Amino acid sequence: MAAVDGAATGVQDQQQQPPARAVERLNTAVQQQLNLESVRTRANSLYKAISRILEEFDAISRANAVPKWQDVVSQFSMVNLELFNIVEDIKNVSKSFVVHPRNVNAENATILPVMLSSKLLPEMEIDDNTKREQLLQSMQNMPVSAQIEKLKARIDMIGAACESAEKMIADTRKAYFGTRQGPTILPTIDKVQAAKIQEQENLLRSAVNHGEGLRISGDQRQITSTLPVHLVDVFAANDGPQNYSDASGMYLKNTPPLSSTSNNSQGNVLQASGAQLLGRSAASPSGATVNTSFDNTTASPLQYANSPRSSANMMNTPSPQQQSLQQLQQQQLQRQKMTPQHQQLLAQQQFRQSSMNMGQSQLAQLHDMQGQGQQKFQQMHGQQHMQFSQPLAAQQLQARQLASGAMHMNQNQMTQGNQLSRQLNQFSSPANNAMFNSAQTTPSQTISNVSAMMSSQPLFTRTQFGMSGGNRNLPSQNLSDQMFNMGAANSGGMMPIHQQQQHNSQGAFGNMQQSGQNLQPNMVQMQNTAQNHPNFQQSRPQNQQ
Amino acid sequence: MECVVQGIIETQHVEALEILLQGLCGVHRERLRIHELCLKSGPNLGVAASEVRLLCDLEQPEPTWTVRHIGGAMRGAGAEQIPVLVRTLNESKVSKNALRFFYSLGYKLDHELLRVGFAFHFQKGAQITVTVSSVNKMLKLHATDEAVPVTPGIQLVEVTAPASSENYTEVVVAVSSFCEYLAPLLHLSKPGVSTGVVPTAAAAAASLMSDGGGTTL
Repeated sequence: MAAVDGAATGVQDQQQQPPARAVERLNTAVQQQLNLESVRTRANSLYKAISRILEEFDAISRANAVPKWQDVVSQFSMVNLELFNIVEDIKNVSKSFVVHPRNVNAENATILPVMLSSKLLPEMEIDDNTKREQLLQSMQNMPVSAQIEKLKARIDMIGAACESAEKMIADTRKAYFGTRQGPTILPTIDKVQAAKIQEQENLLRSAVNHGEGLRISGDQRQITSTLPVHLVDVFAANDGPQNYSDASGMYLKNTPPLSSTSNNSQGNVLQASGAQLLGRSAASPSGATVNTSFDNTTASPLQYANSPRSSANMMNTPSPQQQSLQQLQQQQLQRQKMTPQHQQLLAQQQFRQSSMNMGQSQLAQLHDMQGQGQQKFQQMHGQQHMQFSQPLAAQQLQARQLASGAMHMNQNQMTQGNQLSRQLNQFSSPANNAMFNSAQTTPSQTISNVSAMMSSQPLFTRTQFGMSGGNRNLPSQNLSDQMFNMGAANSGGMMPIHQQQQHNSQGAFGNMQQSGQNLQPNMVQMQNTAQNHPNFQQSRPQNQQ
Repeated sequence: MECVVQGIIETQHVEALEILLQGLCGVHRERLRIHELCLKSGPNLGVAASEVRLLCDLEQPEPTWTVRHIGGAMRGAGAEQIPVLVRTLNESKVSKNALRFFYSLGYKLDHELLRVGFAFHFQKGAQITVTVSSVNKMLKLHATDEAVPVTPGIQLVEVTAPASSENYTEVVVAVSSFCEYLAPLLHLSKPGVSTGVVPTAAAAAASLMSDGGGTTL
């Protein structure tokens, strides 16, 4: 009430003394929002009503009469309403320059004492004190007037900074609002560009999350001459050529060759393994002996697609898995028909075939073979008196080692009859591949050779096997391992096997080498197995080649 | 476990994004150059095929290797409501022989890529890492020096935060609220869910790149 009066009188003063001082007009905005005349009228009427009520109370109290409460309350409520309306009206504008009354109601009542108290909360007080000390600490030594000067200077500086900030904000706001034209237009991307971006995005997301579009095909997976710095020492220095399958990269590690051991158990292993090997479904298990020479497969360097021998390029072989499947089936079929002797032959042939396929086949095939070989091995166990003590893993490790680096093919006895001479051939992998290819292309020859092989060495001793110059890579235990099969027998000859865990192929290679001719890898194996296998003794006298 | 979201941004706006991230994260950016090799197990190794990633950080003075296995993501109705992807993750530092080791185990190289960009690591409710990188592919095996971007005009933004099964809800909240700060420039979503670019990206980038005072829009 008093405030309202004050405002009203203030305005009245302004109006009454315009010439005395500069006219203070209310802000035009405030003037529009606040109809000062009406507020004044209402305030006056309210004032009159309240004074009238007060007079009535006065009269009642003097007369000591009981006031009529209903009347009093109704008058009070009217006054209250009137006040409320006025306050509402001026509330909007009075915030900036006057304090207007605030009604006390239920929600205010409890907090008002706290808000009205002028003493700070304890924490705030401590804060205040510390800040004050901080501020004045630097100036404690100076007289009070100097302190005051300094504080004033600080205040001025802060004030100046605030002003400049406000100015900048105002300028920017002006510029921003000034240049805006019409309603804001939401930026949109046109459809074509959106589609392009969507396509790119899908590419990127699939590449990152799933590797789409990042896979390199097999023939591109040859390591370039210079590896990046961080990969140089990751790959061993003496890696042989790397083989990669088409679907997946198989990286052939380069491991030092295993030390070789005696060959005594090689033959045994060969025999057992031969029986278990999966292989192609080559017919003619019997050793119808073919004197086909294996000379056509020379140890010449790599013969690939255009080589007359390798009509079926290793790379183009049908899916090795399919092949192995077929081979398995055929093998099983034939096995049922054959005598043990023939079975062995066939198994060896199959083994050879599989090893050829293995030349660049995928790991799966190997695994299949291993699994099956193992099964068969168990079947044959009783027959063979083998010692298969070596765990598969060790064998594979050794096989791998054989395959790496030093490709020492120990060769001997594969030549005809007892005339095998030891040869130490070092074949590079291309040569081995060539042999594989050639081996692959001359199945019939190999088959015949098998029998020939088997027959040719009645007197072979283990020691002859590939043991030239101590290049034995296989410990004897390896040989005893079923899975090793061929590889074991060939000891050093295992080297050409590039792939990991290709026990079969290892044997194949070694065999080839050992023969000194371009014998199929299986040849040697067959030979070895044949030697010790009683079934083959009858065929031994046939020394062809 | 980790919470992860991915988004894309046009290469022209990457600088603006960097400024924004610098302001939000309060740390300096770190350069990023990672050679990632993805190895898949061979067909007969184990019951199911598994995938392992080897990351080589080329930015360090000495290249450091990390092996990472990304597991399955959380599934279910609850997981679909969460705006980020929560998945299991196992990571470890390894020596440089890891690659040979995995090859000897029978893993084969499936694909490889090179990420070049920058990253911010900071703490805001959770330990969050934001990487902005251009994903490059190598035309020749292991030729990281001759890598070309898979998508030249678009870079990948990834926000990840490690989590455990007890606190992943808080981490999810932290990551998603941080992503809202980036809303003017890009949208982030679960990996595999495409987002497109944000229409306001150009304007937001312009304002971030401007010198900050009175420039006409």
